[in-house]
Amino acid sequence: MDLSIIVQMIIAAVIGAVVYTLIGVAPGTDETAVLAPITLAIVLMGAHPAVILCFFISAIVAKKLTDSIPVAVAGIPGGVMAAPMVEHAVVLKAHGRPDLSIRKMASGSVIGTLVAVPMSLLLANALVPLAPVIKVYANQVFLIGAIFLALMAREKVVSLLSIIPFALLIQGLRHLYWGIEAVPKTTTVFVSFFLGITIGPMIVNILELFVSTKRKDLLRDSYKKITMREDAKIKGIPNPFSILDIKETISAAIGSVIGCLTFFMSPVGMTIFLGETMSARIKDPIQKAARAISTMDALTNACYVSGVLIPLIALGVPLSPMAIGPANPLFNAPPRFTLENNLHHVMGSGGYFLPVLLGAAIALIITYPITIKYSTKICRFVFRLISHEALLGMFFGLVLMLAYMEAGFINIWGVMLVALVAGTLNRWGVNYGVQFMTLYSGAYISTLILF
Amino acid sequence: MQANTGQKTVPTVKEGQVLAEVWEDVVDVRELLLSLLISTTGALGGYIIAPDAAPYPLICGLTGALLAFIVCAVLFKPKRELIDEEV
Repeated sequence: MDLSIIVQMIIAAVIGAVVYTLIGVAPGTDETAVLAPITLAIVLMGAHPAVILCFFISAIVAKKLTDSIPVAVAGIPGGVMAAPMVEHAVVLKAHGRPDLSIRKMASGSVIGTLVAVPMSLLLANALVPLAPVIKVYANQVFLIGAIFLALMAREKVVSLLSIIPFALLIQGLRHLYWGIEAVPKTTTVFVSFFLGITIGPMIVNILELFVSTKRKDLLRDSYKKITMREDAKIKGIPNPFSILDIKETISAAIGSVIGCLTFFMSPVGMTIFLGETMSARIKDPIQKAARAISTMDALTNACYVSGVLIPLIALGVPLSPMAIGPANPLFNAPPRFTLENNLHHVMGSGGYFLPVLLGAAIALIITYPITIKYSTKICRFVFRLISHEALLGMFFGLVLMLAYMEAGFINIWGVMLVALVAGTLNRWGVNYGVQFMTLYSGAYISTLILF
Repeated sequence: MQANTGQKTVPTVKEGQVLAEVWEDVVDVRELLLSLLISTTGALGGYIIAPDAAPYPLICGLTGALLAFIVCAVLFKPKRELIDEEV
């Protein structure tokens, strides 16, 4: 590989790690909403495939490490996937050991990454023979995926019922654009609908400010109170294997392996299920909570890494909640990447190792020690300087720009429509996974129900 | 607005601010709307005024989004009250 590409990879990984260390701390930052638009922009700007992958891996490893910081420091999740850990972090805080939370979580996260990277590369190679079959039946696989995720969801009935209407909305907008010649018939609008789904909950929330019956529930008469604690001083370079005891290390490693094997499942569901199972028999509340959060953080990390890498390397089709969510631009970013020609096709089988290892290693080396040593300082920095208004504005602006880019002004309103419907469904318990799978199988579903 | 229920009021809340909880955090509604407007102008404006040849529109759009983000972060301060906990 060219030396200049390697230098670019290192720069991209450092930028990814630093930027997502900060974004990870900000409250309410959903993984898909913060990772997908920026990754998409990098893909469309024409970056080298290895540089894209290296950036993405570094970004998710850093984001996963730091979204547990606000859980430990302030008891609020830094992302959707950190939510299951709040309960246990609160237990540690109540027992006067909040300093344990961050160290146990971050160290669990490191174990998760260390297990998931080799494990995913191995599993992916084992799955390669399946790829031709899955590619032929991609439409059916996505539809089954939507049904499967709907059945696994908390709100099964509404999730199932939403699939066909939502598919019609997507396909209906595409036909409208073709009909009034907003885009040529050869263009299938995809990415902006995808982004519309990701910002759906945020758009619904903002619009509710203008609904008189909803507004009173949203209004507040004081700032958000966040209780902070000081860092416990740690000297030298922290070592995850000495921070976790042997049982916690084993538990975190087992959790990571299972997380890799179930890469196609909902990571939040798996995290809750396995974290609770692995810690169920421990009596001492502090040990129990420490075991639970280290295992959970390892598992979410492993789910992330494997959920991206396995479909990417083995299949080239985004068949996991991670791949179809935050990592979607690696699979589908027209005009550069499509399901027939994406990162999977251009990388070649040996090309994955270096970008993945470099991205993961750089993120761990930069973010892990910072997380352990300066968690409170980073939290203060982000909480004091970066307003929620500015963050919401940036993602809103990016999505509108990408909507305009794909199909002109009309698509800005199309994306708002998708966001409104998707956000409302989300509110009712139809999760992102079901909606993304439906988006992928939209064209197929609408041909199925033609009688 | 609700009457003060006798709890300690937060000194940082300014007269005329309308605070609301959006996406897990507290914002000033007017500042949020301004921020959405500034960010959209930055990103979309950058994209549209750029020379019509790839990849300039995307680069200008992203630069616009970044500048708008910095402007919003400077103009609009976080609505968070940090309370130090006794250890």
